[in-house]
Amino acid sequence: MDTLTKLQILSGAARYDASCASSGSKREASSGGIGNTSQSGICHSWSDDGRCISLLKILLSNDCRYDCAYCVNRSSNAVERASFTAREVVDLTLEFYRRNYIEGLFLSSAVMQSPDSTMERMVRVVETLRLEEQFGGYIHLKIIPGCSSELVRKAGLYADRISVNIELPSQVSLQRLAPQKHKDAILEPMALIGREITSSLVERKADRRAPRFAPAGQSTQMIIGASPENDFQILRLSQGLYKKMNLKRVYYSAYVPVSDDNRLPVLASPPLLREHRLYQADWLLRFYGFSAEEILSDDLPFLDETFDPKTAWALRHPEFFPVEINRADYATLLRVPGIGVTSAKRIIAARRFSSVTPEGMKKIGVVMKRAKYFITSSGMSFEKAGRAPALIRQQLLLGEATATLPSRQLLLPGLFL
Amino acid sequence: MKAMKRYLYDGTADGLFSAISWILEEEAEPENVVLAEREQTLFEDGFFIATNVTQAESLFVRLRNRAPDAAYSISLFMLAEKGGMESSLLNYIALVFTHGDKVSGYLTHPAVRDIVSLAKKAGRELHRMKGLLRFEKLQDGAYLAKMEPNHNIIQPLASYFCTRLRAQHWFLYDVKRRIAAQWSNGGLQFGTIEQFITPALSEDEKKVQLLWQTFFKTIAISDRKNPRLQKSNMPMKYWKYLTEKQGE
Ligand code: SF4
Repeated sequence: MDTLTKLQILSGAARYDASCASSGSKREASSGGIGNTSQSGICHSWSDDGRCISLLKILLSNDCRYDCAYCVNRSSNAVERASFTAREVVDLTLEFYRRNYIEGLFLSSAVMQSPDSTMERMVRVVETLRLEEQFGGYIHLKIIPGCSSELVRKAGLYADRISVNIELPSQVSLQRLAPQKHKDAILEPMALIGREITSSLVERKADRRAPRFAPAGQSTQMIIGASPENDFQILRLSQGLYKKMNLKRVYYSAYVPVSDDNRLPVLASPPLLREHRLYQADWLLRFYGFSAEEILSDDLPFLDETFDPKTAWALRHPEFFPVEINRADYATLLRVPGIGVTSAKRIIAARRFSSVTPEGMKKIGVVMKRAKYFITSSGMSFEKAGRAPALIRQQLLLGEATATLPSRQLLLPGLFL
Repeated sequence: MKAMKRYLYDGTADGLFSAISWILEEEAEPENVVLAEREQTLFEDGFFIATNVTQAESLFVRLRNRAPDAAYSISLFMLAEKGGMESSLLNYIALVFTHGDKVSGYLTHPAVRDIVSLAKKAGRELHRMKGLLRFEKLQDGAYLAKMEPNHNIIQPLASYFCTRLRAQHWFLYDVKRRIAAQWSNGGLQFGTIEQFITPALSEDEKKVQLLWQTFFKTIAISDRKNPRLQKSNMPMKYWKYLTEKQGE
């Protein structure tokens, strides 16, 4: 099979993967070599579905021994199979990088003969790129659960980001839908990576020449809607992963039916809105100082479909509002619906010179049609006093009638390794 | 209203900075000054300030020391090569010397808004081109990238690729401005090209381009086509030189 055909099969199989980020790592170019990475990440193109292309995202192989119910590449499914050699992947990466098509490589794979032999070939790709070709571009490598910790360590030394997919939000579901995968085989490498990242950071503080371990951190991905867990369980899991395993990001992927296996729910359409709300709630965990327990509870285990999680929280907490724009601190501003990280920072910067007016807030980027119910500006309010939450709910709904799903995150499951 | 004092400079960047340096020293109220490019007419309406390269450079150095972020904004603003903004720049620089980098939060001031918004536009295009520039391999093994950006970004763009593609011999060519940059053997040079002759491509170039075009097509989820989103992220004016958009 020629490289072109393989590329067609193996990029098609990788297409549903959520993570495309190429940021968060700063790698200098070596003098004889090629490439570096940039802190902010760069998009090189946008595909016909509007998503950013920044990495050569491919599978090493889709020839899988395992039979996970939710995956197109499961061994019982009849699809065309292909596998790259390590050299083919190295050459593709270099040729693309030299022409500035990409920031680097995102390599994942199905389980070929065994987790170890698969991971071994993946590590060979990055080793060749880094050592022989002195490639300094971005590399994201997926870890095959069940491979040796030696290979995990090697992967972390060469890659900018590594990830182990958690797949499903609970062990019970994992056992039911992906019986060949074991929870421990997923959590162990995660914990190992977390420890290695921390110790490499400590060592590098003492000695700048100490080796780096996955400088852009580790991430994971889970499928939403293929198993019965509620949003509260999912968010608490993510919160634990951020706090205990030091993860950089958790990606959520709405389940799209790929088989009529009776272990799987019958869905009319992929739960894209749910996925979107989870991303919003995840954002609140990471950047807005919210905890999972503030966003949801056992009595309220699912995210509101109508309102984004921050607005939903605000409506449940009328005692917190109104917030005075010209006095509130950063953390308080962040809790106001319609004010994001950027606009909160801008408000603080602008206050140095003069108090912020409603006009000024619009310029700063505050979404006034949402924020106006929750703020005052120099004591002046925008809406009549006595804001009953029920009334605000109604008003917000009227204003939000046109809200549509952002099309940026349309993710379907394909391969989850 | 007070009458505005009118000053002129020769239209070059050095001239602009020497004039601003001179005015900031001589005038107590720069907000009552108009600064403009000298026109080729018989009667000059205003006082001409001669260009002094040392003075221009020293102004920029002082700016960089006082407020590095604002100095960076100014250099981005200069890439826009937009006429008629001299007075805004003068006022912006005066504000930088009083407030330092905090000035960028002062978006309610018209001069700050003028400079910052143009700087942002130029900065955005510079960032975009870092991703959208496409090199083609030539017969002699060198690489060539052509572009037609709105802003004159070839200098910062070239220095970006000096580190990224340092082991390659490459050229950047700004087709509209006819400016070229060349990186070879660790040295970067700029020059103008009067008559551009399209060089022959290397033998394997079309093969690699086909691989990339194939990847570009298969990576998209076909029942989620969203040309509007694609165009808003990647405006059509850049498609002309995009390998993946050839033959569309
Ligand atoms: S999820 Fe991974 S291991 Fe499971 S069938 Fe798909 S490719 Fe194989």
